[in-house]
Amino acid sequence: MTDTQWPIFEVFHQQARGEPHVHVGSIHAPDAEMALLMAKEQYARRQACVNLWVVPASAITATSYSDDDIFERGTDKSYRESWGYKTPKMTSHEATEPRSHGGG
Amino acid sequence: MTTMKIESFDTLMGPMRDAVISLLLHLADDEFIIGHRNSEWTGHGPILEADIAVSSMAQDEMGHALAYYQMLHELGERDPDTIAFGRKPREYRCASLVCLPKGDWAFTIMRQFLYDAAESIRLTAFTRSTLTPLAQLATKIHGEEKYHLMHGRSWVIRLGDATPDSHARMQKALHELYPHALGLFEPTEYDEELAQAGISPREDDLRAEWESAVAPVLAAAKLSIPDHLQPIYGGRVGRHPPALKELLDNLQLVYNIDPSAKW
Repeated sequence: MTDTQWPIFEVFHQQARGEPHVHVGSIHAPDAEMALLMAKEQYARRQACVNLWVVPASAITATSYSDDDIFERGTDKSYRESWGYKTPKMTSHEATEPRSHGGG
Repeated sequence: MTTMKIESFDTLMGPMRDAVISLLLHLADDEFIIGHRNSEWTGHGPILEADIAVSSMAQDEMGHALAYYQMLHELGERDPDTIAFGRKPREYRCASLVCLPKGDWAFTIMRQFLYDAAESIRLTAFTRSTLTPLAQLATKIHGEEKYHLMHGRSWVIRLGDATPDSHARMQKALHELYPHALGLFEPTEYDEELAQAGISPREDDLRAEWESAVAPVLAAAKLSIPDHLQPIYGGRVGRHPPALKELLDNLQLVYNIDPSAKW
């Protein structure tokens, strides 16, 4: 299949300084500078934004979904779940877990 | 130049009031008509991302137009909708640059760049205006304008120097648009008065600043600025290319069916 479109860039959006950049989607653009310009209108016009990153999709190396069993926990590893530590930002999954041991 | 601040429109009297009304009407009509022209790309952009960006900028320009029309309303003119939709072509004060049909993408991009370079220079000057409400508005919308200029500049540099076809189209667009762009700086009878009061710089000064701002970008795009082209004036006195009437017939169609309709 011939793709006549521009290359794909993945877009990361930062809502406030100090917050993590969150992946919000992707866009087509001829180069990185144009990608930033178009990402601004596509992903930053409806919500607060202080910074955008664009990354060529081709620069991303990903695991394969066919190998997703590598993430499964064969035995109980709940001791690894470090709820007591302060992290910069919880993932949505973590945020829904009970936080019985708050603090330091 | 006096440095006396004019804190509100209420203190504007006589000829100075007329001068400000005249200035605001040029600004508003330029924004309104270029906004409409660029919105004609909505759903027709060359690529989705470009379509969204140009449509979004068209909305920005409409928003700026509304802000200026609201100021005119505060100065005793009719309400924004009536000013925007309820006038005959000769009552509009926009420059010919914004009236021209949208053309191809090269034409639209070249016009957007030339126009927003001018607007950006004007707004930067307005942030120092002695007319406080104008200075405040300029400060507020300057960021949007900065983006518009980045957008226009980036596209112009790429299209000017991409393929023989894109270069030819951009050069043709520049040749056609340049005298109309110079017409953005058509001096009016109030030019000197507005400059003396520190409200807005002289049009000739703005034009000189604009010429030195666009030249390096056009050079980077490998485009040559046409020589010896006279500015196309007339917009500020209501003399427009026929394209404006066609545009307004379309734009005012629904409004004219029932101007008193409530939305």
